[in-house]
Amino acid sequence: MLGPDIVWYLAVAAFLFATGALGVLLRRSPLIVLLSLEIMLNGANLALIAFARLHGEASGQIFALAVMAVAASEVVVGLGLIVAIARKRIDLDVDKLSFLRG
Amino acid sequence: MGNVVVWAVWVVAAFSCLASGIAVVSFTNPFFSALALIGNLASLAVLYLLLSAEFVAAGQVLVYAGAVMVMFLFVTAYLGGRADAPWAGGPSWQQFGAVLAAGAILVEVIVVIGLKAGGRLSHEAKIDGSFGSPRQIGTLFLTDHLLAFEITSVVLLVAAVGAVILGAHSRRPGTTAGVIHEREVRARP
Amino acid sequence: MIVAAWICLLAPLAAAILITLLGTATSRRVAAYISTASVLGSFAAALVVLVKLWGESPDQRSHASTAWEWLNAGTFHVGLRILVDPLSVLMMLIVSGVGFLIVAYSIGYMDGEDEERRYFGYMALFVFSMLALVQAGNLVILLVGWGLVGLSSYLLIGFWHERPAAIAAAKKAFVMNAIGDATMALAFFILIQHGQSLNFPDTFDVGPGHGWLVNLVALGLLGGAVAKSAQIPLQTWLPDAMEGPTPVSALIHAATMVTAGVYLIVRTHAIFEQAPRVQELAAGLGAATLLMAGLIALVQTDIKKVIAYSTMSQIGYMFLGAGLGAYGSAMFHLMTHAFFKALLFLAAGLVIHALAGEQDIRKMGGVGRAMPVTRITFLIGSLALVGIPPFAGFFSKDSIIASALGQGWYQDILFTVALFGTLLTGIYAFRLFFLVFPGEPSPFVEEHLMRGSHAAGVEGAHGESHGHDTHEHAGEGPFSMTAPVLVLAVLAVIGGWIQFAPLWHPLNDWLEPVARPLTEPTNTQEALASLFAVLLGLAGIGVAWMLYSARRWHVPRWAFGQRLLEHKFYFDEGYDFAFYRPAVALAVYLRRWFEVPVVQGSIGEVAGGVRDLGFWTRRLQTGLVRTYVLAFAASLVVIMVVFVAVR
Repeated sequence: MLGPDIVWYLAVAAFLFATGALGVLLRRSPLIVLLSLEIMLNGANLALIAFARLHGEASGQIFALAVMAVAASEVVVGLGLIVAIARKRIDLDVDKLSFLRG
Repeated sequence: MGNVVVWAVWVVAAFSCLASGIAVVSFTNPFFSALALIGNLASLAVLYLLLSAEFVAAGQVLVYAGAVMVMFLFVTAYLGGRADAPWAGGPSWQQFGAVLAAGAILVEVIVVIGLKAGGRLSHEAKIDGSFGSPRQIGTLFLTDHLLAFEITSVVLLVAAVGAVILGAHSRRPGTTAGVIHEREVRARP
Repeated sequence: MIVAAWICLLAPLAAAILITLLGTATSRRVAAYISTASVLGSFAAALVVLVKLWGESPDQRSHASTAWEWLNAGTFHVGLRILVDPLSVLMMLIVSGVGFLIVAYSIGYMDGEDEERRYFGYMALFVFSMLALVQAGNLVILLVGWGLVGLSSYLLIGFWHERPAAIAAAKKAFVMNAIGDATMALAFFILIQHGQSLNFPDTFDVGPGHGWLVNLVALGLLGGAVAKSAQIPLQTWLPDAMEGPTPVSALIHAATMVTAGVYLIVRTHAIFEQAPRVQELAAGLGAATLLMAGLIALVQTDIKKVIAYSTMSQIGYMFLGAGLGAYGSAMFHLMTHAFFKALLFLAAGLVIHALAGEQDIRKMGGVGRAMPVTRITFLIGSLALVGIPPFAGFFSKDSIIASALGQGWYQDILFTVALFGTLLTGIYAFRLFFLVFPGEPSPFVEEHLMRGSHAAGVEGAHGESHGHDTHEHAGEGPFSMTAPVLVLAVLAVIGGWIQFAPLWHPLNDWLEPVARPLTEPTNTQEALASLFAVLLGLAGIGVAWMLYSARRWHVPRWAFGQRLLEHKFYFDEGYDFAFYRPAVALAVYLRRWFEVPVVQGSIGEVAGGVRDLGFWTRRLQTGLVRTYVLAFAASLVVIMVVFVAVR
């Protein structure tokens, strides 16, 4: 194969995943949290594709496509929730959305 | 010669990937974060091309960047620029823990890849030209991975139904939505 | 015959169960009739058994019947076994016969009580228990009957359970009986451990060479007998037991339950004969009780308590007889005592009933004027008690006294004590009679009995009787109450004529296969004993007449003696000091130092701990999504490390 080894792709994927995790843990706006979640998913996708290339198995790409579909559905529902919350004129701040506290 | 080109392309794509990722997490304005995510997706598509996953790359750009991100942009536009600064409010346990956890994940994955996988990651398989082509993907979806295919379609259906319900408007008093609405209005701090 | 024996045993039990199940569905009268009829049925069945048994030759008169094997452990078998032999038939007749008369009497006495059904149920239960005791074919069933009798006694003493005195008396009776139960059980354990079967008569083959073990067994049995029969040192419960209704006192604490101890000794005499010291101890305890009870009876002011101490004293005679080995005489005295003591109690009950519950003899006087029949019957009973011929007590008591002659210095002492006892009996019995019946009516009696009294002296049917509160018409009680008293009076007269030892002794002969006497007094000894006893009895009556009727002498003032007798020789105070107070102190100590801090405290600690745990767990539910996700991420980190390290 031309270009860098698979290892480098995997490193990028790991970094993306960690960055996404940081965003999820750090940000208070649910919108940004969803975006960070997308970053994480994409990191996973990259790892899948890389391993598919390594082993010559296209199943990895199938898996990545399924992940994409699921990510899309999840975004749909998440955004629907955010819009519903915003319509009720509640602050879009995950720290304030703690109605389920014990 | 080809190797050098591939390396150069890889470096550019990888760096833009990482930079846009950090951008998504760092921007205050959600609009800019969404745009950064689009950039991230595009860079990823380039990386997929380098890994002989043409169909997936196309799908990424079309579906992800084209549909999902557009949806994001619509919602962001609807909501306005409300967001928060990530490092606001002084250092807190949450922030400290977050950085620690994310750093740990990164380090662990690198260590695992480096130490454990070792030599096995150096020998790529030989592939032919039809690897990652739509024909192959299609065949696999409809033969080996038919169940995954069908289930994915069900998931999409469920999401669509959920979105419709979440968006429904009824505020008639006495119905669940109306009651919830009343309670929320009264509970607002 | 066996069937008849089973019917005799089970009829009262069936009545008790029936009364319980019917509850308030029947009227109170019907419950009374059920109870009475069942006891009558028992008596009839006992008669059948007697007739059948009589028809057999003496060495054949022992039949056992086992309903089913209850306990089967290797070589140890215990069954639901009843035994029909001369001794048990005698007791069956006494228990069911006198029991029937007393239960019939109760129909009138307890009429109008709110809880009459409960009373009759308990009475039926008691008769069943006593029959189980006397018909038992092995020591286990005997112990069952023993315990049930104690239970029935407790239930009936505390019948009027709103009265704290009654409840306390019931508890006292039960606890003291339990002491006896414990010693008996220990005796049985020793027997079992030595491989004895507990069936009669096998259980008596303890064999020689077991020395001190036999003594222990006999002591255990004696302990049970002493507790049940209210002898020294476990006698303090009997006077308190007078808190129960008078028929209960008559049946349980005169005629039957308290005689169970005597029955036990006679039944297990073979064991006692192998432990002669213990047998002598029994005789000694009997004599001591006889004396002490006679002395205390001299100062009692409650009519029932006098009769109760008299019972204690007479049972002392029976213990004396059994301890000396004169089993036939002891059982004979048991029988005659049942007659005249029940008579005395029931007649006293007539008086109490007529005086609307008053029992203090100092307020009575001249009752005989309004109740002549009661007066006559009470007189008959008292004469029988003192042992004046031709009444019943004469024939039975003197044989016992005579048995003590000529056997050694110890028995001579017992003889003297027994004779002195007859003097005391004369004094206290007739003190009671003279204070209550003859002469001018006292103001109290005047008020209650003489108003509208021109029908006084007309005994007989007054129709239905009234409750305990007021008694408008003077004179005798209803027929249902006077009839049993009359029957008992007749028995008190003729009951002794069944034996005039040593000339004619059918009863001793009847009992001989089961309990051969150890001593048989000679004719001269009998005559001597009888002479002295009758003379002393008459002397006692004379003393009482001088003191209480003719008022020519005065009771000597001796403060110390008076106090000693009134406090019943300080037994109650002694037991309170020696047993009750330490027990209470121990309980208080344990409660303070153990129960509250450790037991309650630990429960409190556990509850508090759980509550705190819940509180802290609740604090995890912050509702903040970011905290939850951070927890996720942290666990993910840890899991990854674990996977890497382990693999």
